[in-house]
Amino acid sequence: MSTFIDGLSLGSIYALIALGYTMVYGIAKMLNFAHGDIIMVGAYAILTTLNLCGNPIVAIVASVVVCTLLGVVTEKLAYRPLRGASPLAVLITAIGVSYFLQSIAQLIYGAKNRPVTIATFSAVAIGNAKINIATIISLIAGAIIMAALTVFIKKTRTGRAMLAVSEDRGAALLMGINVNRIITITFAIGSALAAFASVFYLMQIPSTNPTLGSMPGIKAFTAAVIGGIGSVSGAMIGGVLLGVIEKIALSVPALAPYTTALEFALLIIILLVKPTGLMGKQRREKV
Amino acid sequence: MKKILAVVLCGLMVFTALAGCGGGNKAADNGYTANNTEFIIGGTGPLTGDTSSYGISVLNGAQLAIKEINANGGLNGIKFKLEFKDDKSTAADAATGYDTLFEGGMQASIGAVTSGSCDSFNSKAVEDNLFSITPSASAANVIENRDNAFRICFGDPDQGVLAAKELTSNYKNIGAIYDTSDPYSSGIYKAFEEEMKKLNVEFKTQTFDAENKKDFSTQVEALKDCDVIFLPIYYTEAGFIAKNATAKECNAVLFGCDGFDGIADQIDSSVKNEIKYITPFDVNSESEATKKFVDAYKAEYNAAPDQFAADGYDAVMTIFEGMKKADVKDVKISASDLCDILTSTITASDFKLVGATGEMTWDKSGACEKVPQIVEFKK
Amino acid sequence: MAYFTNIKNSFKLKNYINYIGVTLFLVITASMLYTGNLNRSTANLITQIAYSIILAVSLNLVVGFLGELSLGHAGFMCVGAYIGCFVALKLHSVISSPLAVLIITMLIGGLVAAVFGFIIGLPALRLKGDYLAIVTLAFGEIVRTIFKNLDTFGGALGLSTKKYGTSLFIPALIVVIIMLILVQNLIRSKHGRAITAIRDNEIAARAMGINVAFYKLFVFVISAFFAGIAGVIYGHYATPVLYSFFSYNYSIEILVMVVLGGMGSINGSILAAVLITFINFQLTTKLSGDLAALKFLIYAIVLITIVIFNNAPALQPFKERFSLKGLIAKISGKIKSIFVKTKDIDKERAKIKDDAAEWKRIPTKIDMDALLSVDVKHEKTENQPDEKEDK
Repeated sequence: MSTFIDGLSLGSIYALIALGYTMVYGIAKMLNFAHGDIIMVGAYAILTTLNLCGNPIVAIVASVVVCTLLGVVTEKLAYRPLRGASPLAVLITAIGVSYFLQSIAQLIYGAKNRPVTIATFSAVAIGNAKINIATIISLIAGAIIMAALTVFIKKTRTGRAMLAVSEDRGAALLMGINVNRIITITFAIGSALAAFASVFYLMQIPSTNPTLGSMPGIKAFTAAVIGGIGSVSGAMIGGVLLGVIEKIALSVPALAPYTTALEFALLIIILLVKPTGLMGKQRREKV
Repeated sequence: MKKILAVVLCGLMVFTALAGCGGGNKAADNGYTANNTEFIIGGTGPLTGDTSSYGISVLNGAQLAIKEINANGGLNGIKFKLEFKDDKSTAADAATGYDTLFEGGMQASIGAVTSGSCDSFNSKAVEDNLFSITPSASAANVIENRDNAFRICFGDPDQGVLAAKELTSNYKNIGAIYDTSDPYSSGIYKAFEEEMKKLNVEFKTQTFDAENKKDFSTQVEALKDCDVIFLPIYYTEAGFIAKNATAKECNAVLFGCDGFDGIADQIDSSVKNEIKYITPFDVNSESEATKKFVDAYKAEYNAAPDQFAADGYDAVMTIFEGMKKADVKDVKISASDLCDILTSTITASDFKLVGATGEMTWDKSGACEKVPQIVEFKK
Repeated sequence: MAYFTNIKNSFKLKNYINYIGVTLFLVITASMLYTGNLNRSTANLITQIAYSIILAVSLNLVVGFLGELSLGHAGFMCVGAYIGCFVALKLHSVISSPLAVLIITMLIGGLVAAVFGFIIGLPALRLKGDYLAIVTLAFGEIVRTIFKNLDTFGGALGLSTKKYGTSLFIPALIVVIIMLILVQNLIRSKHGRAITAIRDNEIAARAMGINVAFYKLFVFVISAFFAGIAGVIYGHYATPVLYSFFSYNYSIEILVMVVLGGMGSINGSILAAVLITFINFQLTTKLSGDLAALKFLIYAIVLITIVIFNNAPALQPFKERFSLKGLIAKISGKIKSIFVKTKDIDKERAKIKDDAAEWKRIPTKIDMDALLSVDVKHEKTENQPDEKEDK
């Protein structure tokens, strides 16, 4: 039971990261490898503002602002020139951006783990297991963000423009949609989600280092694939599922050393057997 | 045409290959030390990354020793110099560092700081017959079957056995968490496991690896009811486990090995668990040599030394005392000659070093004999 | 006689320059070693360069020629290194000749890695682009996690075998030359054309009767085979073989070499592998502390700028105007024109020939593309069920 709750709390982080992944992948059609590292930048932004003023609310706001700006800037500088180039080129650039952010963080803050305490949370008892309030907050926040995103995409003009761009970029352009602007907005939203992910990450694991985002980033991508890439609810479900699977595997001594291998094997199997994931839409290849 | 060219080239290659390997490797003792004006002691250690605290401490301790030796006039008027390379705790960088040091005229070494790196370092040192005395690499294979390799700290098996005896005599419900991806951690754990089997005591085990070394909620959850959790791991992860244990309201005593040194930076007052660890070095020790070292270190670096600083200091001192006893006069002495001298000197029955980490003697195996202590960490 | 003129005509220095370069390098360094002028760290650096070249060229086969991104190349190397080391440990007691052991372990390590290449080639038949990249990344991580946990392979302590000392670089460079001969002949053969055809347009290639599945598997197997051999060389060079070396970061390092050298350029990969390994070596010995991150910062900047410069549609005209090749051609043309007076008609002919070499400049091609894509799209909406096979 408590393993399950630990899985939920880890899964809620994965879910938030996967939301950002799935948005960017669904609309801009690119795998943003640097997404995990934006979380890392968010965490360092929190660390710096906490050291400067000590107010957690200010720190969270600062982190959101920094991440959003960073997302927009990387999109404009690194990804926009490659609009229309081969996906391979875009993917390699994204890897480059990821390395760039990591090494800059290491040059500024060092490779050491640095403790960051946003706030301390107590635990509440449910039956015989204890659940941390931070977990509850991140799950609820994840659900709220998911609902807000769905409403945003379905109801607003910009949201529907996003759907159009995702469906057929050329047609959207012909319909008078400013594709570049829509993709920039997508990146801004995705990066803001990354900032929230960094907040919840630090609530549960109060420590930062330059490679903080890379593993969770790749795992969150796995979660997004499991849920079906491009699907908002799929990302949520996939994230929680992956978190629970990881924690269950870790709690079985014979499996524990192979946990990472197991998660990646799951990714490969899903990609091979059902590339659209649990909630994804069928999409046919365009010639 | 292509075929002819290919055949000719292949023939040429095979010929060179045969010639190449037939020559074998000559001992490459071609006078790298010829230009030395000081005795050069080399070493590598992590100055970056998760284990950087160890490397920096060892470097500080070793430099303090060098400074002290040179202030007292060196050996026969010849000064000492320490060359230390960052290996980021990786085997590959330790090997590269070794080559650079050796070509720079290194005559004796304090090995590498962490076990994996030191294995790599010593495997090269044994080919050149270079004296290596590691301050802190505790894995068994670091000195195994290597006549030139010695160490200052305890070996992993010793710590595992000691921990098993200590824990079984004081506690009932025992748990353990170790890192399957780390030689140091799995080395101690294996010895611990064997000893526990011998003592016929049941205990629970959890593991983690390099990919999952931040979130320990699952492992702590599984061992929640234990009276004591044995943690043969490094301080960074120990800090996370301590925080997790407090969050989970697990009141077990956290019992570690010498890797716990440095945990002070990782935890704050919110951690409630009692923390104990095995160490050969106690800052508050009454011993004269230790006191002298602690005072000098505080004066130099404005901070209290940890065990690694003391180990680094002792490693340099061992080399110095050994050379002093053998009365080495030639500043250009080759690494191999110096190694033979040092090996026979420090394994001699009358050689004993009273260092910062207590009284030490060595035998041919390279392991160090000294008395361990178990200290309690105070916040 | 005709035979020899044929040879003379077909012999282009450009095609053989890398064999000659590597052989010369080998002869010079080997003679330096035997006269005692080669110090140890240089010898080790050359070994590193040798296995980096093998890795870069073999990855280039997948990325540059087949056009699929592989992020798990270090995984194949890991397989080769562990298997090679393991076999060498057993063989050293049976066979006395170290050279024989080296050759046998290379073959075994390479073959086992090739089997893994086959396994990872299977998903490549179904998946493309980003998804395949992620699968290869996952594969690399799975492989090293498994090796880490097997006690047969030393577990967390890693695996050590007898070392070959400084002369290891000689067989390593010979392997480089053999690999270059095999790979370049493969690329220039009809199989090579088939592989590049798949890269340029898979559906067109299939329509031309090329067995896409076979060639995809084939490239992955060959690439993995050489990566495995590079792993064996690494295993004989480094002490001990540790799982942590073969991380995703190392795969990226190889990818940086390929991208820097130019995708689809063997000579470029060789030069980039030499350059990066050399810089890397200098940086690891010179930089310490957190400054070590500078290395990755340089990688990142190299990756981003080169990819954007080479691929950004907006930069294409700029690139054509300032490309090194164009510059050299212009200069050599001018020099030629000083010595040789060409008739106008010759110039005209030369221009037509040039245009033929640069497909992009032929206007009909662009029209055909546009036409084709419109047609196919139109067709697609009409008979959807038929398209399912292509997914």
